[in-house]
Amino acid sequence: MTTTAQFLPAPPLLSPVAHNWKLALLAGLVVSVIAIVLFPARLSLSVVGAMAALVAAAFAVNAYRRRYYGGLLVAPAIAVLFVMNIFPLLWSLGLSFFAYQSNNQSIRFVGLNNYIKVLTNDIAAPANWDALINTGMFVVFTVALQMITGFLLAMLFAKQFPLRKYLLILVLTPMMLSVVASGVFFSYYYDPTFGILSYVMGEITGNQFILMDSKVGAVAGIVFTDAWMWAPFVMLLVLAGLVSVPKYLYEAAAIDRVSKARQFWTITFPYIRGLLMLALLFRTIEAFKLYDLVYILIRGGQDTKTIAYLITEIANEQNKTSEGAALSYVILFMVIVLTNLYLYLANRRNQGA
Amino acid sequence: MSTIEVKKITKKYGEFLAVKDASLSVKAGEVVCLLGPSGCGKTTTLRMIAGLERATEGDVIIAGKRMNELPPQKRDIAMVFQFYALYPALNVGQNIAMPLHFEKLSKEETDRRVNKVAKILHLTEVLDRMPGQVSEGEKQRIAVARAIVRDPNCFLFDEPLSRLDVELRHSMRGQIKEVLSNLSKATVIVTHDQLEALTMADRIAIMRDGMIEQVGTPHEVFAKPANVFVASFIGTPQMNLMEADLKSFGKGVASVTLAGNAVEMAADPAVSTLRPSKVMIGIRPRAFTAESSAGKSTIPAQAELIEPMGAETLIHARTKLGGDIRVVVPRTQRIKIGEVLHLKPDPKQTHFFGENGRAVRA
Amino acid sequence: MTTLAEKFGLRKASGVGEAGWGHTLIVALVSLIYFLPVLMIIFTAFKPSAQALSVPPTLSPTSLFGLIPDQFVFTPTLENFGQVFNRVMVSGNAAEPTGFDVFFFNSFFISSVSVLLALVIGTLASYGFSRYPLKGNDTYLFIILTTRMLPAIVVIIPIILMFRTVGLSGSYVGIIMLYTAFNLAFTIWMMKSFFDELSYDVEDAARIDGSSEIKVFLKICLPQVVAGLAATFVFGLILTWNEFLFALLLTGVDTRTVPVAMNQAVSSGGRGTDWTLLASIETLFLIPVFLVTFFLQDHLLRGVTFGTVKR
Repeated sequence: MTTTAQFLPAPPLLSPVAHNWKLALLAGLVVSVIAIVLFPARLSLSVVGAMAALVAAAFAVNAYRRRYYGGLLVAPAIAVLFVMNIFPLLWSLGLSFFAYQSNNQSIRFVGLNNYIKVLTNDIAAPANWDALINTGMFVVFTVALQMITGFLLAMLFAKQFPLRKYLLILVLTPMMLSVVASGVFFSYYYDPTFGILSYVMGEITGNQFILMDSKVGAVAGIVFTDAWMWAPFVMLLVLAGLVSVPKYLYEAAAIDRVSKARQFWTITFPYIRGLLMLALLFRTIEAFKLYDLVYILIRGGQDTKTIAYLITEIANEQNKTSEGAALSYVILFMVIVLTNLYLYLANRRNQGA
Repeated sequence: MSTIEVKKITKKYGEFLAVKDASLSVKAGEVVCLLGPSGCGKTTTLRMIAGLERATEGDVIIAGKRMNELPPQKRDIAMVFQFYALYPALNVGQNIAMPLHFEKLSKEETDRRVNKVAKILHLTEVLDRMPGQVSEGEKQRIAVARAIVRDPNCFLFDEPLSRLDVELRHSMRGQIKEVLSNLSKATVIVTHDQLEALTMADRIAIMRDGMIEQVGTPHEVFAKPANVFVASFIGTPQMNLMEADLKSFGKGVASVTLAGNAVEMAADPAVSTLRPSKVMIGIRPRAFTAESSAGKSTIPAQAELIEPMGAETLIHARTKLGGDIRVVVPRTQRIKIGEVLHLKPDPKQTHFFGENGRAVRA
Repeated sequence: MTTLAEKFGLRKASGVGEAGWGHTLIVALVSLIYFLPVLMIIFTAFKPSAQALSVPPTLSPTSLFGLIPDQFVFTPTLENFGQVFNRVMVSGNAAEPTGFDVFFFNSFFISSVSVLLALVIGTLASYGFSRYPLKGNDTYLFIILTTRMLPAIVVIIPIILMFRTVGLSGSYVGIIMLYTAFNLAFTIWMMKSFFDELSYDVEDAARIDGSSEIKVFLKICLPQVVAGLAATFVFGLILTWNEFLFALLLTGVDTRTVPVAMNQAVSSGGRGTDWTLLASIETLFLIPVFLVTFFLQDHLLRGVTFGTVKR
């Protein structure tokens, strides 16, 4: 490796030197936690900010002193991510242990109360579990549909053919639509009176077709829209895999008189398997996060509220901020489980391969 | 009937002619090498025989049947690729067994054949490993094993030894030759290494710029090169090719002005057909004897650089006019730098090439 | 001298992996069908509002010389596009500027700045991760990857509070920083695999020749990963351009982006959804992303290939 960092020993933990980042980090954390607990939000935030700046400075000095270029290069990114992602995450976690309502200032430490409330019987509990099940159902269907469609599209575009460039962009466009627009328009297409779907169905069956009325219909509608929008993403990933297979493997297979099906399983599939799993992971997580689309398509009323919609409702409209936080952590937990499962499977595959 | 024949095949990529009017026939059991520098069209020709490229013109005939339109699957050929093309997701045994799926054999039969081939090529121990876990030489043998596990019309090898180190090449050359001779199928090997071609081929086809310059046995192309290109390509150290003026020819002796000297050298009777003109004279470094004094048929040259090569010594000498002559002498003959050598060419190994570069020979 | 498959353009004589016009036809059919909903939106942008909500729904701008019955045809108009920028907001009043010019600018500005910022910071960071690996490299990378996977909901409440407290709510800086963070994870991950692919030889040679580290990075490493930069840029742009949730909650009246404004403009007014207005806004909004993706397409494909097919 071409690292030119000097191997100076790290300063002992307690020495108050400018580049003792360990000490700075420790001090910063301690002060931050105290500040959050004791002070009102505005002041504690400033304190935390100051601490973060202190830690960052210590890091920077340390890095520069040891020609730790890696550290310097990485620092801005880590800083931004920390502030924008990690810190809110920690705060949110902390928040979920309190009962803190967003318009008054009183805080009560309630421990796991919120989680218990969320997971068992709350006023909205039936809605919670319903939402969870809806989300699960929705995720399974839309991801499956996306993967299949994306995969098929990738097979189509794998070869070089005339006009490929122009046709590819057509297929990529759904990804570029604003969620607002596609949501609204699909609700238009699904609209019983004016929508084209009901018109066609009307011609065929003679009755008005109201997709959004039934639960199945509504889910189908959302699944279809979401899959349509994101299959191109899966397609890109799979296409990358398809294109990366060395051409001579197919030539050897042709000479070996290997059937097309077998060629696919033994040559192509191993190359795209990793990408398919990646697409699976990404899309599953995105599907869980789905809020925008539902907000627009459903506008409340039906019982197909997904978790995301529910949470924001809880937080914004019912002023039960911390419960909302707790609920989100339940989701996060599920996401982490999924991610680890994926990584475990992927690693096991790699080792076995 | 395992034969290959290509008749005047041409391959054009747009305006670019990769192969032009190449004709070649390979008998059953014969090994023919396509030899030539990079870009000469040898791999393209091989791929046309394999069916991986479509010939723009001409005929590709395998086992007596014209195969131009047939895809590789239908030609029943076996090919060993330069990069081995082993299926990365299958283990060695499965790789070797892959071509047999088409024949729908029973599992026992497949295993039997795979094991037989593995034994021949010393691969029995690695049958369970993945291609990524075996050495370069083993990869090569696996590729060969995959080819010989079947009973195809013919074998095609694309630079099979180019990725091996010198020692491995040496041993693989022998192994491949042995395997091929046992199987008696028409085989075409593409290579840019003349040593490979000379040792493994029954006949060599030398190609340049898309055209076959000469087809002949290793001995033929070495001793009777058809033109200047072949003469300079075959043989290490490279043959000395010198410009000369042919003055006259009589009684088997040609009078030429070579490197500023009037020299008389014995030459092939066909030289009599040449008018007095500029010719190229080719003499291999080992075809000289260093005489002690100047004579009618010696060429004077001053030794400039001496390279000991073990049993022999390579001497770079410079003629009066500044031309380069390479001479190889046995190491017992001590030559000093600056010494003037009087080089006498062996008449049986002197080649005359006319103005068009073609050899003048009976 | 052609086989049947070649006659139909499904395979090309020049070898495995290419296809001719027959294949193009099939793909064209599929692509157009796939594109149809988008096409409908674009068509709606050209419909006069009276025809927008007709039963049966109008489909085509021209009757294709009578092939399509008249009831499905609408007469195209450009007036909707004007409406985007100048409209009657309150019934009875005159048309006034809608502020959409500002919104478009906001979207442009916020998206491009955040994507570019993420590109710069992220490329530097991924270069650091790749070339100067730290001890906990894998851990850091995993954490970064998981930040991308955070459901928005989890962080949204604290972020809202955070922004409000610090006063960033509704400012450019706040939302740009947020979007930059969003794009960072993806950028780092992609660019790192690009940098990992480069061989050290050229860099070491340059170092020996006396180039400073910065020069090595700028003159040698960076040019080799241009495909990755382009791909990351396009992906980031697509994701940021259409972001709705955080924009909804964190932009103010001045900094609003088009998706939020779109939602507002279309659903308020109490007259139900204004389809033609929405369509025209969306059509206009689509154009920049579309163009960028189209022109960077080759880099995009090459970028995705290199960036993800490692291991």
